[in-house]
Amino acid sequence: MSKMTGMTDRIPQTTVRRSLLTSANQRKLAYALMLLGTIVLAVTGLGTFVLRKPSMSGWVLMLHASAAPLFAVGLALVALTWAGHSRLGAAGSPRERATNLVFWLMLASGAVVILSGLVPMTPLFGTSGQHVVVSVHFYSAMLVTASVALHLLSLAASR
Amino acid sequence: MPLAVVLALTLAFLPPPAPGDNLRTESRSPHLHRIPLRDADGQFIPPPAALNEQGTSQEVRANPYSPAQTCGRCHEYEMIGGGWHFNSAKASVNPGRPGEPWILTDTATHTQLPLSYRGWPGTFKPSEIGLTDFDFVTTFARHLPGGGVGEPAKGKIDAKDARMRRLLVTGTMEIDCLICHEMSGHYDHVARFRAMNVENIRWAPSVGAGLGTLGAGRTAKSIADFWKPAGPPPANLPMLKYDRTKLDAENHVTFDVTRKPSANNCYYCHTSDSQIGDARWHSDRDVHIRGGMSCVECHRNGVDHMVVRGYEGETKDRQVSAAMVELRAKLILRDDATISEADARGCAEQQLKDEMSLAETFSCRGCHYGSDAAKDTAAQLGGRLGAPKPLHKGLPPVHLEKLACTACHSGPFPTNAPQIVHTSRAHKLGLPAPVRTANTPPVIVQPVFLRGQDGRIAPHKMVWPSYWGQLKAGKVTPMLPAEVSRKAKEDLPSQSPEEVARDPYYTKPLTNRQIRDVLGALSGDSPNGQPVFVAAGRLFRLVNGKLASEEHDAARPYAWALAHDVRPASQALGARGCSDCHSDDSPVYFAKVTSRGPVESKNRTAREMWAFRGDDRTLASIFAFTFKFRPMLKYIGFASALIVLGVLLSYGFAGLHTWLGHHKHQQDKP
Repeated sequence: MSKMTGMTDRIPQTTVRRSLLTSANQRKLAYALMLLGTIVLAVTGLGTFVLRKPSMSGWVLMLHASAAPLFAVGLALVALTWAGHSRLGAAGSPRERATNLVFWLMLASGAVVILSGLVPMTPLFGTSGQHVVVSVHFYSAMLVTASVALHLLSLAASR
Repeated sequence: MPLAVVLALTLAFLPPPAPGDNLRTESRSPHLHRIPLRDADGQFIPPPAALNEQGTSQEVRANPYSPAQTCGRCHEYEMIGGGWHFNSAKASVNPGRPGEPWILTDTATHTQLPLSYRGWPGTFKPSEIGLTDFDFVTTFARHLPGGGVGEPAKGKIDAKDARMRRLLVTGTMEIDCLICHEMSGHYDHVARFRAMNVENIRWAPSVGAGLGTLGAGRTAKSIADFWKPAGPPPANLPMLKYDRTKLDAENHVTFDVTRKPSANNCYYCHTSDSQIGDARWHSDRDVHIRGGMSCVECHRNGVDHMVVRGYEGETKDRQVSAAMVELRAKLILRDDATISEADARGCAEQQLKDEMSLAETFSCRGCHYGSDAAKDTAAQLGGRLGAPKPLHKGLPPVHLEKLACTACHSGPFPTNAPQIVHTSRAHKLGLPAPVRTANTPPVIVQPVFLRGQDGRIAPHKMVWPSYWGQLKAGKVTPMLPAEVSRKAKEDLPSQSPEEVARDPYYTKPLTNRQIRDVLGALSGDSPNGQPVFVAAGRLFRLVNGKLASEEHDAARPYAWALAHDVRPASQALGARGCSDCHSDDSPVYFAKVTSRGPVESKNRTAREMWAFRGDDRTLASIFAFTFKFRPMLKYIGFASALIVLGVLLSYGFAGLHTWLGHHKHQQDKP
């Protein structure tokens, strides 16, 4: 986490747009929440797939569902605190532009993964629709995991 | 004289009885079955006229009709005999998913033993407990449709076997086609039962069909009691007194039969109801039957009578046997003069495999969703007979992997304890008897949610075996009620006539003292093992003269999946939401299943449903507990997603605005 502190502090302040939560600590906390949620969700969710289990169940499912709000809240806070720092534009180095692009990809896929995780709990879709939603959840989860990892790596690289 | 001579000459010049007349109508319009009757030897039955030559009335007595010879004239009796209702004792038949057993019930000895020739785990084969095929057939004749062990080939009846040789007198128990296929509702099960009770087996189909009566003369049973195989065949067997009104001028009978029996016919053997006694009027019955369907719409069969049982995975349990190929090839050769024998076999095998794949489409899932196992495209798509495709809105698909359709849709709506259920075969439903109550043995409960062979949770019926037996090398061999009665006559409690009137099924449980006394009386036979009593999930035995009990494998309950009555979607489990199952008092997990049997309540064991499945109670409780926070999870999730989307849109529009402004600025540059 200390490494990440360094990373977030190095974001060029010239591009910062004033947002609701802007202090560095709040940004770090938000990112940490999201990261923790992502790790648990990835291990439980993608782990089930890697281990070729037909579907998540038992303690694993419960852990997955428990980490989900952590990720959702973390992502929302990251969106509020980091968006201003990560605007896409001509300014900044190509690496910074790539980092920002990954950030927005992370937000977009994160929103999809949250919604596709929640929609099966609502009476909006029938079985076939639910199967589609579950597939969307699976692929968007892979995307969000990859984008979080990439974002983290690019932040680390920019130190 | 002239009539008799003409008849005799006519019969003399008639062609000899062929194995089958091979006549078909091939129409959807039912064929009027106005046919002559034949006896067991295949001879026409011309009952004498109501009036003799002198014009005075005479008794219209003749041999009883034989379904094998009468119906088998045009229908493939041999092939039908391999059908599911008749093939239980055939070693080559895969037993498939455990089903309802026959339960040998004896109130005097408090015995209730699940029996099956199919070898389902938890049941006993009749031979294992010393019950001959003849005893089995006569014990359960009330609901046996005939065939199978009741109809051994004539040459295969062991004349040395004192029980089996009785069949040479009583006649074999041929498949009684009319039990299922009669459609007027006039089949008299009670009369058939009475005939079976006195071992008038050969006469029973005629009596059941209402063709005639036997009167109060000698019975086959009384003749068989004295007949010795060394002596001449009995000449004084009963003759059926035909009801002349059932025969027309040509001595033909019009059978009101149908290819597709009505549900009422199936209900004689397959009634299963938790609404017992006077509460019967509350029963809504199965939603499919209410919708106008009949049982055989799904539980179909071809000429081989391999009735579709209708569970998922049934296709894997049904193999195409060499005998089936043989019989089908015979039909193909009969119907196609151009085909070679080898081709007929190949064709038969392919046909049977294709048909087998269709069996899967008659399960709940196969019919409502379609089945990829089916070769037929329409069947793959589902919706047979207009079955609606379930929407299951809001039901995460994982439920369809973990639960059988029946878990949510079948049987009585689960409550905090399973309910008592009466079934035709266990409780002799369909036959007049004193009112059967909740304690009438055998006590069967439903629904108990267990995992089936496919790993899915499904509702089951459950019965706890109860019997006296002998324990040797850890294995318990049951004793037949007659043997127990003989050896422990003095110690077995009995009822006074007043008690019998009040409690005809002798539901009063045995006290520990009574069990101890009977075990003491049985202990004289120690070389065969230690006497034990198995009941209500426990095994009782004497240890140093004192009664001790323990849980034992031999006392484990026998369970079989239930599928009916199907409730409408609005009454399905989960119709009220997730908490129908995921709550700390959900019956699926936490309903208490108390073992039932003829022992005092202190000897009974109680378990929650999860324990029968080997589930983790802590997990189930915590998982249920988390559902209290499910609404909060949804609120947090949707709020978070809204915020993220808001940020995405806000910055997206801002970026777009900047880009457009920049683009315009570039264009405006001179």
